[in-house]
Amino acid sequence: MEDPWMFYFDPNRCIGCHACSIACKQRHDRDPDADDWRTVTHLSRGEYPEFEQLPVSMSCMHCHDAPCETVCPPNAITKREEDGIVTVDRDRCIGCHYCAWACPFGAPTYGDEGLMSKCNMCLGQGPGSGHDQPPKERPEDGGLQPACESSCVGDAIKAGPRSEVLDHASEKAAVRFENDAYGGRVVVEPVDEDAELAAAVRENNTDQAADWLNG
Amino acid sequence: MTGELIPLMTDFARWLPADYWDLSIPVYLFFAAVAGGAYLTGASACYIRSRRESGPCCLESEIARWGFMTAVASAAIAGLAVLSHLAVISRAVLFPIYLTNFSSWITIGTWILVLLAVFSVICLLLQLFGEDAAADSGASLWPRVLFAKIGILGLADSLVDAVRPPMAVFAGLHLFGSILALATIYTGFELAIVETVPLWNMSVVLPMAFLTSGIAAGVGATLAITMLFEREVGPVFGGYAIIVALFSGLSLVFITYGWQEIATSDAPAAAASHAELTSGALYVGVWLVALGFILSIVAGLVVGIAALTDRLSERAERLGGPALIGSFGLLFVSALILRVLLLLAAEQNPVVVAL
Ligand code: SF4
Ligand code: SF4
Repeated sequence: MEDPWMFYFDPNRCIGCHACSIACKQRHDRDPDADDWRTVTHLSRGEYPEFEQLPVSMSCMHCHDAPCETVCPPNAITKREEDGIVTVDRDRCIGCHYCAWACPFGAPTYGDEGLMSKCNMCLGQGPGSGHDQPPKERPEDGGLQPACESSCVGDAIKAGPRSEVLDHASEKAAVRFENDAYGGRVVVEPVDEDAELAAAVRENNTDQAADWLNG
Repeated sequence: MTGELIPLMTDFARWLPADYWDLSIPVYLFFAAVAGGAYLTGASACYIRSRRESGPCCLESEIARWGFMTAVASAAIAGLAVLSHLAVISRAVLFPIYLTNFSSWITIGTWILVLLAVFSVICLLLQLFGEDAAADSGASLWPRVLFAKIGILGLADSLVDAVRPPMAVFAGLHLFGSILALATIYTGFELAIVETVPLWNMSVVLPMAFLTSGIAAGVGATLAITMLFEREVGPVFGGYAIIVALFSGLSLVFITYGWQEIATSDAPAAAASHAELTSGALYVGVWLVALGFILSIVAGLVVGIAALTDRLSERAERLGGPALIGSFGLLFVSALILRVLLLLAAEQNPVVVAL
């Protein structure tokens, strides 16, 4: 797979408004109380006035190694050759929930019918709709832009072929990605302050520095 | 301001107590391994009987029949447990068509469990019916009474005699069945390959703990059932009791090693699992597991060695049977609780975010 599609996220630009997760639900016509395919989690620490918060928007990352695909007994999950998007064929899913355990991002969800559904990068609309769709095209070529990306008010989310995503990312984020941060599954910008701290830690050359740089 | 690495341990990253895998899963994992242990008991009893060249009417025949019966029942319970968990049972029932991913341990395991069930049923039928079984007696022959009541016992006997394989085929059947029984180690691999859960992600320790504890529970259960009807604790029981003790001991070694790994791991999810296992209701479960395995080691070795060497006094013989039945019963419960604990204390490695 030459240039698989993937996600990019910049926590410095995310304002935690949840527009992405709501747009995702609307695009895929899912119940308001169904589990989110895209979640926004507010990480916080400290107490007022030293209180800080960081919103993190996550979904299926369409992993290059797709652990969910490896464990899925009926081959319901496919890491597509043509665009790298990971889709699910709900006509094969047996609802064993093994993929949920294998996924590092907690992305698979299960509705009342017990079948797996998750983000399909808006290859189609609705659970399982990405399966068997033609290759993903860029919006400028007539493809559907993922709802999370188009609704993000801060331009914190980007989806696209890896080369484009890395062009868009800062050098630090690209280096972190090359260093296998987040298992090389998603490109994430370092939080501004962290970049300074990471540099300081790196100078001390501690093991912690390595961990830090690897995300 | 100082930066920190914050693990994302929120509702969606923290899976348990989960509706993803309910208690049917540990029940499935347990009974599949018990089926393996019980099958091995049945096959080995057949082998011992053939070596002794004793007639059909002997203790080994009883052990063999109860062993295969326990294997069939356990495989059935395991199958029903896993099916009850699935969203689309019909697709799982059509597993030769649907389960096509042979890199998934669920697919591999389904084939192992189904084949083991088929082998156990064949072996059981060969032990229950036919000329030899008709000349035999014992509590394990109860299905013959049922067949007689519905008037098909004669038919079953003659059918089994007609298809009874020669000794070489019989030995091959037991050999292949025994390999399948050992292959129930897959139940451990189903959890061990989940890299996101450090409590499970021990590629040797967990499968070995599942295999050895499954064999101990399967052999122990067969022995306990047989002893309910055959109270005399002789050398054959003694030998099997020692085997249960040895496999219980091996299980305890693997469990202790895994416990150490979790207790000393730096991974936040390992620490969370360890904290859960050392507090509240799960802590009681941990002690129950330890007690069950330790008691079966002690009872199995003490009674087993004495019985094997014919050194059981009359009084000890009276107590030996109930002691083995009680301790192997507790072992059975402990081996099940072991799997329940592994599910309830499972924590996913959090996604780590720099803040
Ligand atoms: S994020 Fe999870 S569901 Fe998506 S491809 Fe990776 S393992 Fe599969
Ligand atoms: S729940 Fe469905 S998609 Fe997930 S592993 Fe099981 S069969 Fe595959």
